[in-house]
Amino acid sequence: MKTICLLLISCSLCLAGRAQDLSKMFEDSAAVRQPVIGTFKSTRIIMGHSNETLKKHELDFRVAHRFGDIGGSFGGGKTAFGLDNSTDIRIAFEYGITDDLMVGISRAKGSGDLSQVFEGLAKYRVLKQTTDNQVPVSLSVFGNVTLSTMTSSADETAVSHFEEFTDRMTYVAQAIIARKFGDRLSLTLSPTYVHRNRVGYMDMNNMFALGGSGRIRLSKRLAFIAEYYYPFRSQSSKDYYKAQGIEFFNPLGAGLEIETGGHVFSVNFTNSTAILENQFIPETRASWLQGQFRWGFNISRRFSLFSKRDWKK
Amino acid sequence: MAAALLAAHAYGQKIYSCRNVHLSFFSSAPLEDIEAKTDKGVSAINLETGAVYFKVPVNTFQFRKKLMQEHFNENYLETDKYPYAEFKGRLANPAALNGNGTYEVTVEGTLSIHGVDKTYREKGTITIQNGQLTSTSKFKVRLVDHKIKIPTLVIKNIAEVVDVTMQATYTLNAQK
Repeated sequence: MKTICLLLISCSLCLAGRAQDLSKMFEDSAAVRQPVIGTFKSTRIIMGHSNETLKKHELDFRVAHRFGDIGGSFGGGKTAFGLDNSTDIRIAFEYGITDDLMVGISRAKGSGDLSQVFEGLAKYRVLKQTTDNQVPVSLSVFGNVTLSTMTSSADETAVSHFEEFTDRMTYVAQAIIARKFGDRLSLTLSPTYVHRNRVGYMDMNNMFALGGSGRIRLSKRLAFIAEYYYPFRSQSSKDYYKAQGIEFFNPLGAGLEIETGGHVFSVNFTNSTAILENQFIPETRASWLQGQFRWGFNISRRFSLFSKRDWKK
Repeated sequence: MAAALLAAHAYGQKIYSCRNVHLSFFSSAPLEDIEAKTDKGVSAINLETGAVYFKVPVNTFQFRKKLMQEHFNENYLETDKYPYAEFKGRLANPAALNGNGTYEVTVEGTLSIHGVDKTYREKGTITIQNGQLTSTSKFKVRLVDHKIKIPTLVIKNIAEVVDVTMQATYTLNAQK
Protein backbone atom coordinates (compact mmCIF):
# COMPACT_ATOMS: atom_id res chain seq x y z
CA MET A 1 0.00 0.00 0.00
CA LYS A 2 2.73 2.34 1.03
CA THR A 3 4.73 1.68 -2.14
CA ILE A 4 1.71 2.21 -4.36
CA CYS A 5 1.11 5.52 -2.66
CA LEU A 6 4.71 6.54 -3.16
CA LEU A 7 4.63 5.42 -6.75
CA LEU A 8 1.55 7.49 -7.43
CA ILE A 9 3.10 10.55 -5.85
CA SER A 10 6.38 10.06 -7.63
CA CYS A 11 4.73 9.51 -10.99
CA SER A 12 2.54 12.54 -10.68
CA LEU A 13 5.53 14.63 -9.71
CA CYS A 14 7.68 13.14 -12.42
CA LEU A 15 5.21 13.75 -15.18
CA ALA A 16 6.03 17.42 -14.86
CA GLY A 17 9.76 17.24 -14.40
CA ARG A 18 10.86 13.74 -15.25
CA ALA A 19 13.85 14.50 -17.46
CA GLN A 20 14.83 17.58 -15.50
CA ASP A 21 15.22 15.46 -12.39
CA LEU A 22 17.78 13.29 -14.10
CA SER A 23 19.66 16.22 -15.62
CA LYS A 24 20.01 17.75 -12.14
CA MET A 25 22.08 14.75 -11.10
CA PHE A 26 24.89 15.98 -13.33
CA GLU A 27 24.90 19.68 -12.69
CA ASP A 28 28.18 19.41 -10.83
CA SER A 29 29.91 18.35 -14.02
CA ALA A 30 28.78 21.48 -15.83
CA ALA A 31 31.33 24.09 -14.84
CA VAL A 32 34.59 22.72 -16.16
CA ARG A 33 37.37 25.13 -17.00
CA GLN A 34 38.34 24.93 -20.66
CA PRO A 35 41.25 26.40 -22.55
CA VAL A 36 40.25 28.86 -25.26
CA ILE A 37 40.92 27.35 -28.67
CA GLY A 38 41.69 28.91 -32.01
CA THR A 39 42.98 32.29 -30.86
CA PHE A 40 44.76 32.29 -34.20
CA LYS A 41 44.39 29.94 -37.13
CA SER A 42 48.08 29.54 -37.68
CA THR A 43 51.38 29.68 -35.84
CA ARG A 44 52.07 32.97 -37.67
CA ILE A 45 50.08 36.14 -37.98
CA ILE A 46 51.61 37.96 -40.97
CA MET A 47 55.25 38.62 -40.19
CA GLY A 48 55.62 37.31 -36.68
CA HIS A 49 54.45 34.48 -34.49
CA SER A 50 51.06 34.00 -32.94
CA ASN A 51 50.63 32.24 -29.60
CA GLU A 52 49.54 29.04 -31.34
CA THR A 53 51.76 26.00 -31.59
CA LEU A 54 51.46 22.83 -33.61
CA LYS A 55 49.87 19.90 -31.87
CA LYS A 56 51.82 16.76 -31.05
CA HIS A 57 53.13 14.95 -34.13
CA GLU A 58 51.89 17.58 -36.55
CA LEU A 59 54.13 18.61 -39.40
CA ASP A 60 53.64 22.04 -40.87
CA PHE A 61 55.09 22.72 -44.30
CA ARG A 62 55.27 26.47 -44.80
CA VAL A 63 56.09 28.62 -47.75
CA ALA A 64 56.26 32.39 -47.45
CA HIS A 65 56.95 34.86 -50.16
CA ARG A 66 57.39 38.63 -50.28
CA PHE A 67 57.35 40.35 -53.65
CA GLY A 68 58.91 43.59 -54.84
CA ASP A 69 57.67 47.13 -54.23
CA ILE A 70 54.20 47.75 -55.58
CA GLY A 71 54.82 51.48 -56.05
CA GLY A 72 57.79 53.81 -55.93
CA SER A 73 60.75 53.71 -58.30
CA PHE A 74 61.03 49.88 -58.28
CA GLY A 75 57.33 49.22 -58.63
CA GLY A 76 54.60 50.16 -61.03
CA GLY A 77 53.55 48.56 -64.28
CA LYS A 78 57.05 47.75 -65.49
CA THR A 79 57.54 45.13 -62.72
CA ALA A 80 53.86 44.12 -62.75
CA PHE A 81 53.58 45.96 -59.41
CA GLY A 82 56.38 44.00 -57.82
CA LEU A 83 55.45 40.56 -59.11
CA ASP A 84 58.69 40.24 -61.06
CA ASN A 85 60.79 40.58 -57.95
CA SER A 86 60.95 38.57 -54.78
CA THR A 87 62.51 40.24 -51.81
CA ASP A 88 62.37 37.19 -49.59
CA ILE A 89 61.31 33.56 -49.76
CA ARG A 90 61.14 31.17 -46.85
CA ILE A 91 60.51 27.44 -46.88
CA ALA A 92 60.11 25.69 -43.56
CA PHE A 93 59.33 22.41 -41.90
CA GLU A 94 57.94 22.79 -38.43
CA TYR A 95 56.91 20.03 -36.08
CA GLY A 96 54.96 19.58 -32.86
CA ILE A 97 56.87 17.56 -30.28
CA THR A 98 54.11 17.88 -27.71
CA ASP A 99 50.83 19.76 -27.85
CA ASP A 100 52.66 22.77 -26.43
CA LEU A 101 56.17 22.55 -27.84
CA MET A 102 57.12 22.95 -31.47
CA VAL A 103 60.42 23.17 -33.31
CA GLY A 104 61.31 24.00 -36.88
CA ILE A 105 63.98 24.48 -39.47
CA SER A 106 63.82 26.83 -42.39
CA ARG A 107 65.74 28.32 -45.23
CA ALA A 108 65.18 31.90 -46.21
CA LYS A 109 66.57 33.89 -49.06
CA GLY A 110 66.97 36.71 -46.58
CA SER A 111 66.52 40.42 -47.09
CA GLY A 112 68.75 42.87 -45.30
CA ASP A 113 72.39 42.89 -44.31
CA LEU A 114 72.68 39.12 -44.55
CA SER A 115 71.10 36.67 -46.93
CA GLN A 116 71.05 32.90 -47.57
CA VAL A 117 69.86 32.09 -44.12
CA PHE A 118 69.17 28.86 -42.25
CA GLU A 119 66.96 29.12 -39.20
CA GLY A 120 66.25 26.84 -36.27
CA LEU A 121 63.33 27.72 -34.03
CA ALA A 122 61.38 26.59 -31.02
CA LYS A 123 58.14 27.82 -29.48
CA TYR A 124 56.49 26.79 -26.26
CA ARG A 125 53.01 27.49 -24.94
CA VAL A 126 53.38 28.56 -21.33
CA LEU A 127 49.84 29.68 -20.52
CA LYS A 128 46.48 29.08 -22.09
CA GLN A 129 43.62 31.51 -21.71
CA THR A 130 40.62 29.78 -20.13
CA THR A 131 36.93 30.17 -20.88
CA ASP A 132 36.18 31.15 -17.28
CA ASN A 133 38.82 33.94 -17.44
CA GLN A 134 40.72 32.45 -14.52
CA VAL A 135 43.68 32.73 -16.90
CA PRO A 136 42.89 35.90 -18.89
CA VAL A 137 45.62 35.62 -21.53
CA SER A 138 47.64 33.04 -23.39
CA LEU A 139 51.41 33.24 -23.30
CA SER A 140 53.90 31.59 -25.59
CA VAL A 141 57.65 32.03 -25.86
CA PHE A 142 59.53 31.83 -29.11
CA GLY A 143 63.23 31.75 -29.89
CA ASN A 144 65.31 31.20 -32.97
CA VAL A 145 68.90 31.11 -34.23
CA THR A 146 69.83 31.98 -37.79
CA LEU A 147 72.97 31.26 -39.73
CA SER A 148 73.89 32.99 -42.95
CA THR A 149 75.66 30.80 -45.47
CA MET A 150 76.61 33.63 -47.83
CA THR A 151 80.19 34.05 -49.00
CA SER A 152 82.12 36.35 -46.70
CA SER A 153 82.58 39.78 -48.25
CA ALA A 154 86.11 40.90 -49.07
CA ASP A 155 85.19 44.38 -47.82
CA GLU A 156 86.17 44.30 -44.16
CA THR A 157 83.69 47.04 -43.26
CA ALA A 158 80.74 45.15 -44.73
CA VAL A 159 78.31 43.45 -42.37
CA SER A 160 78.67 40.36 -44.52
CA HIS A 161 82.42 40.19 -43.90
CA PHE A 162 82.73 37.34 -41.43
CA GLU A 163 85.84 37.27 -39.27
CA GLU A 164 84.44 34.46 -37.21
CA PHE A 165 81.82 31.82 -37.75
CA THR A 166 79.55 33.36 -35.10
CA ASP A 167 79.44 36.59 -37.13
CA ARG A 168 77.02 34.74 -39.37
CA MET A 169 74.51 34.24 -36.57
CA THR A 170 71.56 36.17 -35.19
CA TYR A 171 69.01 35.39 -32.48
CA VAL A 172 65.49 36.32 -31.52
CA ALA A 173 63.69 35.81 -28.22
CA GLN A 174 60.05 36.73 -27.96
CA ALA A 175 57.09 36.46 -25.62
CA ILE A 176 53.69 36.42 -27.28
CA ILE A 177 50.82 37.50 -25.07
CA ALA A 178 47.47 36.86 -26.69
CA ARG A 179 43.83 37.12 -25.84
CA LYS A 180 40.74 36.10 -27.69
CA PHE A 181 37.78 38.40 -27.12
CA GLY A 182 34.57 36.57 -27.91
CA ASP A 183 34.75 34.42 -31.00
CA ARG A 184 35.67 37.14 -33.50
CA LEU A 185 38.56 39.20 -32.18
CA SER A 186 42.06 38.15 -31.12
CA LEU A 187 44.88 40.49 -30.11
CA THR A 188 48.54 40.00 -29.29
CA LEU A 189 51.35 41.95 -27.71
CA SER A 190 54.87 40.64 -28.30
CA PRO A 191 57.89 42.02 -26.44
CA THR A 192 60.83 40.97 -28.59
CA TYR A 193 64.60 40.96 -28.33
CA VAL A 194 66.84 40.70 -31.40
CA HIS A 195 70.56 40.04 -31.17
CA ARG A 196 72.78 40.21 -34.22
CA ASN A 197 76.41 39.24 -33.69
CA ARG A 198 77.69 41.43 -36.49
CA VAL A 199 76.13 44.73 -37.46
CA GLY A 200 77.20 47.83 -39.36
CA TYR A 201 78.88 50.84 -37.72
CA MET A 202 76.46 52.61 -35.36
CA ASP A 203 73.89 49.86 -35.81
CA MET A 204 72.77 47.96 -32.69
CA ASN A 205 73.77 44.42 -31.77
CA ASN A 206 70.94 44.28 -29.25
CA MET A 207 67.57 45.66 -30.07
CA PHE A 208 64.26 45.50 -28.28
CA ALA A 209 60.97 45.77 -30.08
CA LEU A 210 57.29 45.58 -29.27
CA GLY A 211 54.95 43.84 -31.65
CA GLY A 212 51.19 44.06 -31.73
CA SER A 213 48.67 42.29 -33.89
CA GLY A 214 45.00 41.63 -34.35
CA ARG A 215 42.75 39.21 -36.11
CA ILE A 216 39.09 39.79 -36.84
CA ARG A 217 37.12 36.82 -37.98
CA LEU A 218 34.91 37.83 -40.89
CA SER A 219 33.44 34.38 -41.44
CA LYS A 220 34.32 30.84 -40.39
CA ARG A 221 36.93 30.66 -43.12
CA LEU A 222 38.05 34.22 -43.59
CA ALA A 223 39.76 36.65 -41.25
CA PHE A 224 41.30 40.09 -41.47
CA ILE A 225 44.74 40.29 -39.90
CA ALA A 226 47.07 43.18 -39.15
CA GLU A 227 50.44 43.36 -37.45
CA TYR A 228 52.86 46.07 -36.38
CA TYR A 229 56.30 46.17 -34.80
CA TYR A 230 57.89 49.06 -33.01
CA PRO A 231 61.69 48.58 -32.83
CA PHE A 232 63.47 50.62 -30.16
CA ARG A 233 66.37 51.93 -32.24
CA SER A 234 68.49 54.50 -30.42
CA GLN A 235 68.29 58.12 -31.51
CA SER A 236 72.04 58.27 -32.17
CA SER A 237 71.80 55.29 -34.48
CA LYS A 238 68.80 56.77 -36.29
CA ASP A 239 70.60 60.10 -36.68
CA TYR A 240 73.76 58.51 -37.98
CA TYR A 241 71.95 56.49 -40.62
CA LYS A 242 69.76 59.41 -41.60
CA ALA A 243 72.93 61.40 -42.31
CA GLN A 244 73.93 58.54 -44.63
CA GLY A 245 70.59 58.81 -46.38
CA ILE A 246 69.22 55.64 -44.79
CA GLU A 247 65.97 55.71 -42.91
CA PHE A 248 64.40 52.87 -40.92
CA PHE A 249 60.67 52.26 -40.82
CA ASN A 250 58.45 50.27 -38.52
CA PRO A 251 57.14 47.05 -40.08
CA LEU A 252 53.41 47.12 -40.70
CA GLY A 253 51.36 44.46 -42.43
CA ALA A 254 47.71 43.82 -43.20
CA GLY A 255 46.08 40.94 -44.98
CA LEU A 256 43.42 38.31 -45.29
CA GLU A 257 43.67 34.81 -43.90
CA ILE A 258 41.76 31.96 -45.52
CA GLU A 259 41.45 28.56 -43.90
CA THR A 260 40.53 25.52 -45.95
CA GLY A 261 40.78 22.43 -43.81
CA GLY A 262 44.49 21.55 -43.59
CA HIS A 263 45.66 24.73 -45.32
CA VAL A 264 45.93 28.24 -44.01
CA PHE A 265 46.58 30.74 -46.73
CA SER A 266 47.32 34.35 -45.96
CA VAL A 267 47.59 37.08 -48.56
CA ASN A 268 49.11 40.20 -47.16
CA PHE A 269 50.67 43.56 -47.76
CA THR A 270 53.76 44.64 -45.83
CA ASN A 271 56.36 47.33 -46.08
CA SER A 272 58.97 44.98 -44.63
CA THR A 273 60.89 43.01 -47.23
CA ALA A 274 62.23 40.27 -44.97
CA ILE A 275 60.35 37.31 -43.52
CA LEU A 276 62.51 36.48 -40.49
CA GLU A 277 62.10 38.53 -37.30
CA ASN A 278 65.90 38.77 -37.13
CA GLN A 279 65.76 40.97 -40.21
CA PHE A 280 62.41 42.69 -40.53
CA ILE A 281 62.51 44.10 -37.00
CA PRO A 282 65.88 45.90 -37.16
CA GLU A 283 66.39 46.28 -40.90
CA THR A 284 63.14 47.44 -42.52
CA ARG A 285 63.98 50.38 -44.74
CA ALA A 286 60.88 50.45 -46.90
CA SER A 287 58.08 52.91 -46.34
CA TRP A 288 54.39 52.44 -46.96
CA LEU A 289 54.06 56.12 -47.76
CA GLN A 290 56.60 55.88 -50.58
CA GLY A 291 54.81 52.98 -52.25
CA GLN A 292 57.41 50.58 -50.90
CA PHE A 293 54.97 47.96 -49.81
CA ARG A 294 54.49 44.62 -51.37
CA TRP A 295 52.10 41.80 -51.49
CA GLY A 296 53.12 38.52 -50.05
CA PHE A 297 51.69 35.22 -49.00
CA ASN A 298 52.13 32.61 -46.32
CA ILE A 299 50.96 29.10 -47.01
CA SER A 300 50.73 26.53 -44.26
CA ARG A 301 49.92 22.91 -44.86
CA ARG A 302 49.58 20.75 -41.77
CA PHE A 303 49.96 16.99 -41.76
CA SER A 304 49.16 14.68 -38.86
CA LEU A 305 51.98 12.16 -38.57
CA PHE A 306 51.70 8.90 -36.64
CA SER A 307 48.02 9.64 -36.18
CA LYS A 308 46.99 6.03 -36.61
CA ARG A 309 49.47 4.88 -34.01
CA ASP A 310 48.56 7.65 -31.56
CA TRP A 311 44.88 6.92 -32.03
CA LYS A 312 45.17 3.31 -30.95
CA LYS A 313 46.69 4.25 -27.61
CA MET B 1 21.51 18.55 -6.75
CA ALA B 2 21.55 16.88 -3.38
CA ALA B 3 17.97 17.93 -2.89
CA ALA B 4 17.00 16.43 -6.20
CA LEU B 5 18.74 13.19 -5.37
CA LEU B 6 17.19 13.03 -1.96
CA ALA B 7 13.82 13.70 -3.45
CA ALA B 8 14.35 10.94 -5.98
CA HIS B 9 15.46 8.53 -3.29
CA ALA B 10 12.58 9.42 -1.08
CA TYR B 11 10.22 8.01 -3.67
CA GLY B 12 12.28 4.85 -3.90
CA GLN B 13 12.88 5.24 -7.61
CA LYS B 14 15.18 2.93 -9.47
CA ILE B 15 17.64 5.40 -10.89
CA TYR B 16 20.70 4.06 -12.64
CA SER B 17 23.51 6.43 -13.49
CA CYS B 18 26.76 6.38 -15.43
CA ARG B 19 29.52 8.97 -15.53
CA ASN B 20 31.68 7.48 -18.24
CA VAL B 21 29.40 6.95 -21.18
CA HIS B 22 31.39 5.92 -24.25
CA LEU B 23 30.31 7.73 -27.36
CA SER B 24 31.86 7.61 -30.77
CA PHE B 25 30.91 8.75 -34.21
CA PHE B 26 32.00 7.79 -37.65
CA SER B 27 31.74 9.75 -40.87
CA SER B 28 32.54 8.09 -44.13
CA ALA B 29 33.05 10.41 -47.09
CA PRO B 30 34.68 9.82 -50.49
CA LEU B 31 37.99 11.38 -49.48
CA GLU B 32 38.20 10.66 -45.81
CA ASP B 33 36.87 8.58 -42.94
CA ILE B 34 36.57 10.56 -39.77
CA GLU B 35 36.22 8.97 -36.36
CA ALA B 36 36.03 10.50 -32.92
CA LYS B 37 35.39 9.15 -29.46
CA THR B 38 34.87 10.21 -25.88
CA ASP B 39 34.22 8.51 -22.58
CA LYS B 40 33.16 11.69 -20.81
CA GLY B 41 29.44 11.38 -21.33
CA VAL B 42 27.02 11.12 -18.40
CA SER B 43 23.68 9.38 -18.31
CA ALA B 44 20.87 8.35 -16.05
CA ILE B 45 17.92 6.03 -16.53
CA ASN B 46 14.93 5.89 -14.28
CA LEU B 47 13.38 2.47 -14.68
CA GLU B 48 10.19 3.45 -12.85
CA THR B 49 9.31 6.34 -15.09
CA GLY B 50 11.28 5.36 -18.14
CA ALA B 51 13.09 8.69 -18.17
CA VAL B 52 16.41 8.62 -20.01
CA TYR B 53 19.02 11.34 -19.91
CA PHE B 54 22.35 11.78 -21.66
CA LYS B 55 24.79 14.64 -21.71
CA VAL B 56 28.28 14.97 -23.18
CA PRO B 57 30.70 17.90 -23.35
CA VAL B 58 31.19 18.09 -27.11
CA ASN B 59 34.78 19.25 -26.88
CA THR B 60 35.83 16.01 -25.19
CA PHE B 61 35.59 14.12 -28.47
CA GLN B 62 39.08 12.99 -29.47
CA PHE B 63 40.03 12.82 -33.13
CA ARG B 64 42.81 11.06 -34.91
CA LYS B 65 43.96 14.40 -36.29
CA LYS B 66 44.23 17.24 -33.79
CA LEU B 67 43.66 19.89 -36.42
CA MET B 68 40.40 18.19 -37.30
CA GLN B 69 39.44 18.28 -33.64
CA GLU B 70 40.05 22.02 -33.55
CA HIS B 71 37.96 22.55 -36.67
CA PHE B 72 35.22 20.32 -35.26
CA ASN B 73 35.03 22.47 -32.14
CA GLU B 74 35.54 25.86 -33.71
CA ASN B 75 33.91 25.70 -37.13
CA TYR B 76 31.30 22.98 -37.02
CA LEU B 77 29.97 22.33 -33.52
CA GLU B 78 30.90 25.78 -32.14
CA THR B 79 31.50 24.34 -28.71
CA ASP B 80 32.20 27.77 -27.20
CA LYS B 81 28.55 28.59 -27.76
CA TYR B 82 27.08 25.11 -27.46
CA PRO B 83 29.30 23.14 -25.08
CA TYR B 84 27.00 20.15 -24.57
CA ALA B 85 25.03 17.67 -26.55
CA GLU B 86 22.05 16.53 -24.52
CA PHE B 87 19.32 13.96 -24.83
CA LYS B 88 16.12 13.93 -22.81
CA GLY B 89 13.71 11.16 -23.53
CA ARG B 90 11.95 8.12 -22.26
CA LEU B 91 11.69 4.43 -22.79
CA ALA B 92 8.64 3.32 -24.73
CA ASN B 93 7.84 0.51 -22.31
CA PRO B 94 9.80 0.70 -19.04
CA ALA B 95 7.55 -1.85 -17.35
CA ALA B 96 9.01 -4.56 -19.59
CA LEU B 97 12.42 -4.16 -17.99
CA ASN B 98 11.67 -6.50 -15.16
CA GLY B 99 14.58 -8.35 -13.57
CA ASN B 100 17.78 -9.70 -15.08
CA GLY B 101 17.89 -10.01 -18.83
CA THR B 102 18.61 -8.32 -22.12
CA TYR B 103 15.93 -6.15 -23.60
CA GLU B 104 15.49 -4.50 -26.97
CA VAL B 105 14.16 -1.06 -26.17
CA THR B 106 12.91 1.96 -28.03
CA VAL B 107 13.70 5.41 -26.76
CA GLU B 108 12.03 8.58 -27.90
CA GLY B 109 13.10 12.05 -27.00
CA THR B 110 14.82 15.26 -27.91
CA LEU B 111 18.46 15.39 -28.85
CA SER B 112 20.09 18.78 -28.72
CA ILE B 113 23.31 19.18 -30.71
CA HIS B 114 24.82 22.49 -31.75
CA GLY B 115 21.95 24.21 -29.93
CA VAL B 116 19.37 22.67 -32.26
CA ASP B 117 16.74 20.25 -30.94
CA LYS B 118 15.39 17.36 -32.88
CA THR B 119 13.11 14.50 -31.92
CA TYR B 120 14.61 11.06 -32.30
CA ARG B 121 13.08 7.62 -31.98
CA GLU B 122 15.89 5.07 -31.77
CA LYS B 123 16.40 1.47 -30.83
CA GLY B 124 18.87 0.24 -28.25
CA THR B 125 19.68 -2.63 -25.95
CA ILE B 126 19.52 -2.66 -22.18
CA THR B 127 20.96 -5.49 -20.13
CA ILE B 128 20.21 -5.79 -16.44
CA GLN B 129 22.44 -8.07 -14.41
CA ASN B 130 22.23 -8.01 -10.62
CA GLY B 131 21.89 -4.30 -10.07
CA GLN B 132 24.14 -3.38 -12.99
CA LEU B 133 22.64 -2.01 -16.15
CA THR B 134 24.36 -1.67 -19.49
CA SER B 135 22.98 0.03 -22.53
CA THR B 136 24.10 0.28 -26.13
CA SER B 137 22.69 2.05 -29.10
CA LYS B 138 23.59 2.96 -32.64
CA PHE B 139 21.87 5.72 -34.48
CA LYS B 140 22.38 8.20 -37.26
CA VAL B 141 22.63 11.96 -36.98
CA ARG B 142 21.99 14.05 -40.05
CA LEU B 143 24.19 17.15 -39.77
CA VAL B 144 21.70 19.39 -41.51
CA ASP B 145 19.09 18.56 -38.83
CA HIS B 146 21.29 20.34 -36.30
CA LYS B 147 22.29 23.21 -38.57
CA ILE B 148 25.89 21.98 -38.82
CA LYS B 149 27.05 23.41 -42.11
CA ILE B 150 29.62 21.69 -44.28
CA PRO B 151 31.24 24.07 -46.77
CA THR B 152 31.20 22.82 -50.36
CA LEU B 153 34.99 22.93 -50.27
CA VAL B 154 35.18 19.95 -47.90
CA ILE B 155 31.96 18.20 -48.93
CA LYS B 156 34.00 15.22 -50.10
CA ASN B 157 35.73 14.99 -46.70
CA ILE B 158 32.76 15.06 -44.37
CA ALA B 159 29.69 12.84 -44.60
CA GLU B 160 26.23 14.38 -44.35
CA VAL B 161 25.09 11.64 -42.01
CA VAL B 162 27.28 10.33 -39.22
CA ASP B 163 26.87 7.07 -37.34
CA VAL B 164 26.86 7.44 -33.58
CA THR B 165 27.57 4.57 -31.21
CA MET B 166 26.82 4.71 -27.49
CA GLN B 167 27.82 2.29 -24.78
CA ALA B 168 27.31 2.81 -21.06
CA THR B 169 27.55 0.81 -17.87
CA TYR B 170 25.30 2.05 -15.07
CA THR B 171 25.15 1.45 -11.40
CA LEU B 172 22.08 1.68 -9.29
CA ASN B 173 22.14 4.82 -7.19
CA ALA B 174 22.38 3.92 -3.54
CA GLN B 175 19.06 4.05 -1.72
CA LYS B 176 18.97 5.91 1.54
